[in-house]
Amino acid sequence: MNPLAGLLSERLSKAQVVDGFETEPWAVCGRLPQAVVFPESEAQVAEILSLSSEEGWRCVPAGRGSWLHGGQPPQAVDVLLSAKRMSDISEYEPADMFISAQAGAGLDALERRTNEEGQWLAVDPPGGERGTLGAMLAVGTAGPLQAGFGSPRDQVLGATIVSGDGQVLNLGGKVVKNVAGFDLLKLVAGSWGTLGMITSVTMRLYPVPATDRTLLFKESEAADGANLACRLAQTPFPLAAVELLVPGDGESGGGAPSPLVAVRILESTDAVDEAERVVSECAGMPPVQRLGGEQSAAIFDNVRAMEDGAELVLRLSLLPTRLPELIETTSQLRGLYDPSEGWGMRLAGHAQTGVLRVMIAVVGRSDDWVDRAKTTLGVLRRSLEAEGGSLVVSQGPPEIVGAVSAWGALGPAALFTSGIQAALDPAGILNRGTSPQ
Amino acid sequence: MENILPEPLTKELRDRLRGVVGDAWVIVDADRLLAYESDGLTAYRRTPRAVVLPRNTDEVSRVLGILSQEAVPVVPRGAGTGLSGGALADGDAVVVGTARMTDLLELDPENRLARVQPGMINAHLTTAAEPFGLYYAPDPSSQSACTLGGNVAENSGGPHCLKYGVTSRYVTGLKVVTYDGKVVDLGGFGREPGGYDLVGVFVGSEGCFGIATEIEVRLLPKSEAVCTLLAIFDRLGDAGSAVTEIMAEGLMPAALEIIDGPTIRAVEASVFAAGFPTDAEAALVVEFDGIEAGLAADVERAVACCREAGAREVRTADSTEERLAFWQGRKKAFGAMGQIASDLLVQDATVPRSQLTGVLGRISEIGARHDLTIANVFHAGDGNLHPNLLFDRSDAEELARVERASKEIMAVCVEAGGTITGEHGVGLDKRHYMSLVHGPEELDAMRRIKAVFDPHGRMNPGKVLPDPPESAGVAV
Repeated sequence: MNPLAGLLSERLSKAQVVDGFETEPWAVCGRLPQAVVFPESEAQVAEILSLSSEEGWRCVPAGRGSWLHGGQPPQAVDVLLSAKRMSDISEYEPADMFISAQAGAGLDALERRTNEEGQWLAVDPPGGERGTLGAMLAVGTAGPLQAGFGSPRDQVLGATIVSGDGQVLNLGGKVVKNVAGFDLLKLVAGSWGTLGMITSVTMRLYPVPATDRTLLFKESEAADGANLACRLAQTPFPLAAVELLVPGDGESGGGAPSPLVAVRILESTDAVDEAERVVSECAGMPPVQRLGGEQSAAIFDNVRAMEDGAELVLRLSLLPTRLPELIETTSQLRGLYDPSEGWGMRLAGHAQTGVLRVMIAVVGRSDDWVDRAKTTLGVLRRSLEAEGGSLVVSQGPPEIVGAVSAWGALGPAALFTSGIQAALDPAGILNRGTSPQ
Repeated sequence: MENILPEPLTKELRDRLRGVVGDAWVIVDADRLLAYESDGLTAYRRTPRAVVLPRNTDEVSRVLGILSQEAVPVVPRGAGTGLSGGALADGDAVVVGTARMTDLLELDPENRLARVQPGMINAHLTTAAEPFGLYYAPDPSSQSACTLGGNVAENSGGPHCLKYGVTSRYVTGLKVVTYDGKVVDLGGFGREPGGYDLVGVFVGSEGCFGIATEIEVRLLPKSEAVCTLLAIFDRLGDAGSAVTEIMAEGLMPAALEIIDGPTIRAVEASVFAAGFPTDAEAALVVEFDGIEAGLAADVERAVACCREAGAREVRTADSTEERLAFWQGRKKAFGAMGQIASDLLVQDATVPRSQLTGVLGRISEIGARHDLTIANVFHAGDGNLHPNLLFDRSDAEELARVERASKEIMAVCVEAGGTITGEHGVGLDKRHYMSLVHGPEELDAMRRIKAVFDPHGRMNPGKVLPDPPESAGVAV
């Protein structure tokens, strides 16, 4: 064992620390940690983080490791802490409609357990069910259901984190309405492990809706699809999701890819029938397909999995009515990849929130590929920011993310961001995605 | 609390402030300052040194710039309807009010967004959005008077938060002014640049981080249909069981509100009489909204739940008038109580829903032991209790009993897995209860985050956080 791993295994146990080639699956944006540890309790997490703060070891908290290739690359990784072995469901009272579990609990396990009681976690972040509860909150990304149910930050009731300096902080609670003090829990959602390691989470649950139906509408051009999605998003009915899906260049059998608009309705059966009528009327066409129950859920599982196998994933955003413009801007990205490689470029737009996910299967690597990506993404980011929008590089080759930065400009708010980080991680050991530039 | 008259502003400072906002908008006369000596929690009174009423972001920034140069503490204030003493000017503070900042800056119906000044009254936003078929969802009971800026400060709730969530779910962007007068934009819809959720942490910061001078909120399309039912019970516990049954059925009502026997009798004896039977021990208001086609079936299932739980009578509102009458009993409850007692302490705490019946029993036991009348009106669906303690302020001994009973009620709620405030905030009133729910580490983390926004500790000082341990016992 290397000296650092050796010191850690003295504190924990040998079986809880790995180093050398065993750290390979845990590379963070291409950087190998010196040691990977698997704490089994909050107290152990606190011990490792306070020791690391004293020693100046740079740490990255993780769950099962699904998101290690995403976000801003850290300056260095000495210790990676995985919550994998902290996966118990600690409290589940169906009548109170919340579930508390350790951070390493899988979203799949929580889904199974809550479904047994006719309840569910109404979150659908990218990446499907293979991630952990803690990672879902740390990344904080919402999926298509954001419009109907809110993002993870709206549905988390409480969390325990161990801050960078090893303090165990119980934030929030178990009830929806809670204003006892400053809402530090909000800071945890989307913090990418830069404030501390999440050790347990309490989430709000919803009753499984009586009917789950997805209507698929087809257009021939991406621009028409975007216009249709915008129109449907303005239906005054409670639609759970309105998603524009543009398949990759390599997924359309030669011709231009035909976009689909998927409208998901989660209501009582009578209400779903009525919503279907109104939505179809608004679309001016009948759906090409109606999917019920498991099939409806399955198509949205596919939407979550769309980033799988993508080398570069971007999130572009503007106000929802400007989704057609966002679609148009993606033509600027054509120079970054060869459409004949893999499936090319896929698009998925949340029509109610104005977020467009761009997925590129394989980034072209001619001589000046990094510079070209830097210029293209920089120009696009600046033009979106000038219009009140943003561009985030959710994942990509470390060379590109390093060159353009995952996050966009924060302006004067950056002052608060760095202050908050220093408040909870005074030694600056949690350096992943540090202070968006 | 004794009301000590504060030291007046120097003429020089007064003139500088008048130079920014105009002569009429710096209030220093003792009789006019009286209107600002308390908020909705009238047990505490403190006269501010002065009240400044700026008109826009620029004026707020200049006013705070001047006050911070002189190290004068600042207390932001909306309509003063808060129930935790959060808008009270402690010590030598100056109140900066938003009463003149009432503009609707932008309404974008297609993107379902509005941008407002903080002094705009909550209900006025819904009125403005109505022609577009939209509304603003959070609906605190004081919505016809309270301001959106106050709602942001308190992260306000309301009866319909059960289905729709509280203020923080609707605020997408803020323009804030910090104590030193710096203007900073946070968040914004259609924008997710990464970084921490600064809007999220600012909402609910009770004026301790800065003053929000522009607020961007999401609007919702109005529901196609609404259906309300009223169930009458002979036992409060049975109403609680009905709530559990309805939620266990997988129904998602927009609101689930309980009014207990003492409250029913107060309402019926007042000008707000809603026609509730005065011998009942609980009235449960259940409201569903959404697509018309599905509502009738949901209502039927809820009616069945109420009957099964022992409701002696269930009425369904067939007209808007009838629906409003059901709500009258709920929304006017506080006003009605004012007619049976000279003073009223509206308590606020949340418990997990399954604990409601047990906790209500213990509250009634606490009331009996302290010989106090406690009337309950509450958001049963999300376990948000409002025990109302009736008293007479001139009776010091009774006031002391009210304080003891309040503290015991808080402890009972925390013990049941709940918290000390669900929607009214901590303010001045509950900062000494904070240690019931938070350990020293959490309180210290909150102090550190507050210092990021307000390093000098002069934005709404003496609120939310208890004094740090090292200064315990030292007068502030």
